[in-house]
Amino acid sequence: MSAQLLFAALVAGSLYALVALGLNLVYGTLRLLNIAHGDLVMIGAYVSFWMLSLFGLPPVLSIFVAAALCGGFGWVIYVGMFRKLLATPALAQRLEANSLILFYGVSVILQNCVALAFTSTARGYQYLNEVHKFAGIAASGNRLMLFGVALALCLGMLLFLRFHLFGWSLRAVIERRDAAAVVGVDVDRVQMVTICIGFAIAGVAGVLVSMTEQITPFMGFPFTIAAFVVIVLGGLGNIFAGIVAGFALGFIETFGVALTSATYRSILIYGLFVGVLLLRPQGLFGKAIKIR
Amino acid sequence: MRLLTKLKSLVAAAAVVAASVAQAEEPVRIGYSMSLTGLFAQAAPSQVNAFELWKDKVNAAGGLDVAGTKRPVEFVTYDDQSNPANAVRIYEKLIAEDKVDLLAAPWSTPIHLALAPILSRHKFPMVGNTAASVQLREIAPGYIWFPTAVIPDRVGEELAAFMKSKDIKSAAILSNVLPLSQEIKSFLVPALEKHGISISVNENYPPDIKDMTTLLTQVNETAPDAVIVLSYPADSFLFAAQAKELGIKAPFVLSLIGATFGSYQQALGESVNNMVTVGHWSPNQADWPKAKPFFEAYKAKYNEAPDALDSVLAYMSLEILEQAVAKAGLDKEKIREAVSTMTFDTINGPVKFEGVQNSVTPTSFLQIQDGSLELVWPDSVKTKDFRPKTGW
Repeated sequence: MSAQLLFAALVAGSLYALVALGLNLVYGTLRLLNIAHGDLVMIGAYVSFWMLSLFGLPPVLSIFVAAALCGGFGWVIYVGMFRKLLATPALAQRLEANSLILFYGVSVILQNCVALAFTSTARGYQYLNEVHKFAGIAASGNRLMLFGVALALCLGMLLFLRFHLFGWSLRAVIERRDAAAVVGVDVDRVQMVTICIGFAIAGVAGVLVSMTEQITPFMGFPFTIAAFVVIVLGGLGNIFAGIVAGFALGFIETFGVALTSATYRSILIYGLFVGVLLLRPQGLFGKAIKIR
Repeated sequence: MRLLTKLKSLVAAAAVVAASVAQAEEPVRIGYSMSLTGLFAQAAPSQVNAFELWKDKVNAAGGLDVAGTKRPVEFVTYDDQSNPANAVRIYEKLIAEDKVDLLAAPWSTPIHLALAPILSRHKFPMVGNTAASVQLREIAPGYIWFPTAVIPDRVGEELAAFMKSKDIKSAAILSNVLPLSQEIKSFLVPALEKHGISISVNENYPPDIKDMTTLLTQVNETAPDAVIVLSYPADSFLFAAQAKELGIKAPFVLSLIGATFGSYQQALGESVNNMVTVGHWSPNQADWPKAKPFFEAYKAKYNEAPDALDSVLAYMSLEILEQAVAKAGLDKEKIREAVSTMTFDTINGPVKFEGVQNSVTPTSFLQIQDGSLELVWPDSVKTKDFRPKTGW
């Protein structure tokens, strides 16, 4: 039976890692606390639902639509709200704190626009819900797809940061923003592309989630919270550690519940969160692991 | 969309008024607050849709019969953001400032409970709808009534009797920690013991649960005859998906809230065939001649089935008000007298109140059978026989 638990932990972990990855990229490069991150997951879920309902487009293809839409929204937000603010160091200093409130506004607006447009009636659809059995594991197709896509995106992002020139620039901006500008990194461009990538990843996560959960305009907030827990565990702005922390959280949650009781789930997760903030504010993996 | 509906109903109302020049009456204004945003927002459409459908029907028939005079109906509504304190202020405003003629009920038990004292203070009667708790009985009878038959103590007792009649020997109970689930469980556990049904697993879980592998593994290890999941919507979906994955084999499976939603069957399809849930209405009950037309009209207008609990209770509450006003007019004391004493003919059959409670509608259970919701318990109202769950 432990194989089944292992699978549950991997699925939960890969989703946490993916949702947190988008948030971490945006925080790392722009120092913006995107409290509306979960609402982008919600947008992705609605994209998937409507693409399937209206055009018969399967979620595996909606991934690209959701990524494009949410990425485009990131571009609008960056150009419309943050470009000028980030270019002025004095304003950028205050922006980190203010972004929390700004994005809270964005979150409320997104939720209510979606509720107005589509009503708050819960939605759902069936996709890849046949059960596959192998190696002592029973797994529905959609959870296998969730795991596969999330894992591929996390690994892909790490490889991109390691081997692509733009990935290097991105890491440079995360680690030493001023120095990166001095050596010729186009900080503005890096920031713009990163916010698009971060938002797009959230949209993709939404498509994946919509295959297994009910879809409502207010489904996003738990994802925002989970993502914040993960990136605090990993260390804010530390991309690789964030992914590791996502999987760690999946394992802690699944096996923690198995060893104690489901009622302790929230206590376990938030206890860990508060514990890490108190004892290792730089994150569990702190300075020990750098992006490679 | 909503604007269009409003325009349509305005035009309809205008047409009605124009047609009956002789009786160009002032509209009857009915006020209510609804959780359009916030925690309960997901539940609002099923109730608002039913209200709007009722209004359309009444206005199309020439208006609300106010002790013999037909007057068009209009709603005065506000968003309470799912906050009982806001709802209290809104109903104070509706009564004192907007001076509405009648009140319709908001969504949820906490908001109903918060409103009861306001209604008593203003001596303003209101027929409740979507509230379910034994606490309702502690409200002093007078200005609020509850048509629901989902009162936790009765649900616990009836469920145990239902299971006993299907020869269930053992049951696993998985329960959300939220109030309605826990309240039902507190009555279900002793009732099961009384009927000699053993409890193999009895576990709680938090509302934000994301994975039930551990819980369902425990259930599978004890192989009970019944799995009773006292769930809220999000975990109802999660449970059904994972029960399929992990192959839960019990012939009797119940999911508490969410299984009556249209999206539940959309998302889970065949796999939730023969799932049992709580509810006391089915469009297929031939003894209730208004049931099917309501179902058809709702489906035609909103392109989805009404929620068998919330939409039905919301609609019933206005049917009751309509019939009381036809007899008593708009005088508050006369309405109170009428609601307390009359027997009403609703989409859920006859309703009569004893104190604050509906004393006619029996506590019942529904089963999803090939895409439709059938009453399977008790025998007095059942539309189909119970079918054991044979797979996912």
